[in-house]
Amino acid sequence: MKNEIPDFLLSKPHLQSSVVTDGASRISFLDKGVGDLSRLIKTTYIQWETAEKNGFFQNLDARVKVLFLLLFVIIVSVKQTLLPEVIIAGFVCILAALSRLSLISFYKRVVFFGFIFGFLVALPSALNIVSHGEIVLPVIHLPQSYDFLMYHIPETIGFTRHGLEGVVMLTLRVLNSLALSVLVIYTTPFVQIIKALKSLKVPDLFLMILTLSYKYIFIFVQTVEHIHLAKKAKTIQTNAGEERNWVAGRIAYLFRKTSIRCEEVFDGMTARGFTGDVVLYAHRKMTKKDVIAGSILLVVGVGLLML
Amino acid sequence: MHIPDGYLGPQTYMPFWAASLVSWSIALKKVKKELSAKEIPYVSMAAAFSFLIMMFNIPIPGGTTGHAVGAGIIAILLGPWTAVIAVSVVLIIQAIVFGDGGITAIGANCFNMGVVMPFVSYWVFKLVGGGAAKGPKPYVAAFLSGYVGLTVAALLTAIEFGIQPLIAQGADGRPLYGPYPLSIAVPAMALEHLFLFSILEGVVTLLLLKYFLKSESSLIYTLRAKEG
Repeated sequence: MKNEIPDFLLSKPHLQSSVVTDGASRISFLDKGVGDLSRLIKTTYIQWETAEKNGFFQNLDARVKVLFLLLFVIIVSVKQTLLPEVIIAGFVCILAALSRLSLISFYKRVVFFGFIFGFLVALPSALNIVSHGEIVLPVIHLPQSYDFLMYHIPETIGFTRHGLEGVVMLTLRVLNSLALSVLVIYTTPFVQIIKALKSLKVPDLFLMILTLSYKYIFIFVQTVEHIHLAKKAKTIQTNAGEERNWVAGRIAYLFRKTSIRCEEVFDGMTARGFTGDVVLYAHRKMTKKDVIAGSILLVVGVGLLML
Repeated sequence: MHIPDGYLGPQTYMPFWAASLVSWSIALKKVKKELSAKEIPYVSMAAAFSFLIMMFNIPIPGGTTGHAVGAGIIAILLGPWTAVIAVSVVLIIQAIVFGDGGITAIGANCFNMGVVMPFVSYWVFKLVGGGAAKGPKPYVAAFLSGYVGLTVAALLTAIEFGIQPLIAQGADGRPLYGPYPLSIAVPAMALEHLFLFSILEGVVTLLLLKYFLKSESSLIYTLRAKEG
């Protein structure tokens, strides 16, 4: 009797969440992308929660925090020795503790990015192929040195003292800058940051576009998740080529959906009195506490600059 | 390609902040003039759209992944000045909220990916495509616009990295910021972009334009500008 079962039901199925290549199972790039989007929402929810806590930084005016961030990232970038960088690292740690942030989750985020962008990217620069000076940690001995084009490969390749000092300095800079940003983000709602930027004379139109974009990102992240789940529920088997085409089609579809949502948003804005003039509400007056805290932070910053 | 804090010295990031501020100010004026109040939320939508394009990491032969920036396709669809605002807003949100890219480096990142890339992509598309909406020309133009736009932005980034050891050294000759000289930074960035990431950007630009030409051609700014 002729087999009338469709081919796709006879073929060996594989999990949709994995792409099997050379016997190795890997998470599909689509699942990974959507997973990244979910993590992004989770991270932002954590930020919103920590920004509502009753801690030292949370109770400060957002203008003080934004100016603190700008001043200190500039200080981090101009200091050329290790001591001020170590002091800044300690100072940020104290501020994070005073703001009742979980130091483990705070440093998990800071160290993860700092390790990749600071340490891993910079480490090869400590080799004597890039840095000059005394080798403190030899890695490979070659039979002879090599020269080609403008490059020189020495007989002994290893890490130099100058190079390692440079890597430590760069890693500390990256870690400190990230810690400062994360401290402010974890203790300040996004709306307050926007208001603080307004007091720094950033144009209202730019701020409105920034605010709307931030909100739309979350709306579209949810839409993408829904599209992906619907596709997973309906698909039995797929391959990387089909997935690429699907992604391109969905991105384009999202753009179209975007323009429809845009019209709805404009209608909503018009219904609430939007006439085309963008005006953001100004900040409240600073309290005595904000002025004192701001002055202390400024004094610390000036002290570090003079160090 | 998002430059973190610590890699660029003040001698580099300050001028790039200034260049980006000037570009944003011109772009805001152009957007205000060209777009009606109804279309202003549209710029934010484009920014959110660009953010999502950057979140889709697509596998590349060799086991790595890469993502498109989307500046080229936004410039083709919405015009280069709108793309300047949209992509810059995404980069600012990524730096401030998600820690992707440095605060001091916002000016340089926005200049590379938010100003240079949309304009290069837009000009390449216009030059190669010549306003054609049919045949292979618009597809070749779309691929090349994404490919060339990202490659030029990557080369600019590499030059910014590579000049650091030349312009900022300690008393002992040690580089104070980015440690890699031009002889390493430029080939490293150029090779990975010429053979991997720029191809991906070109393909994404082509596939998206293909969809829009097929079903939403009236939305394409570059073709409307030609008709106008």
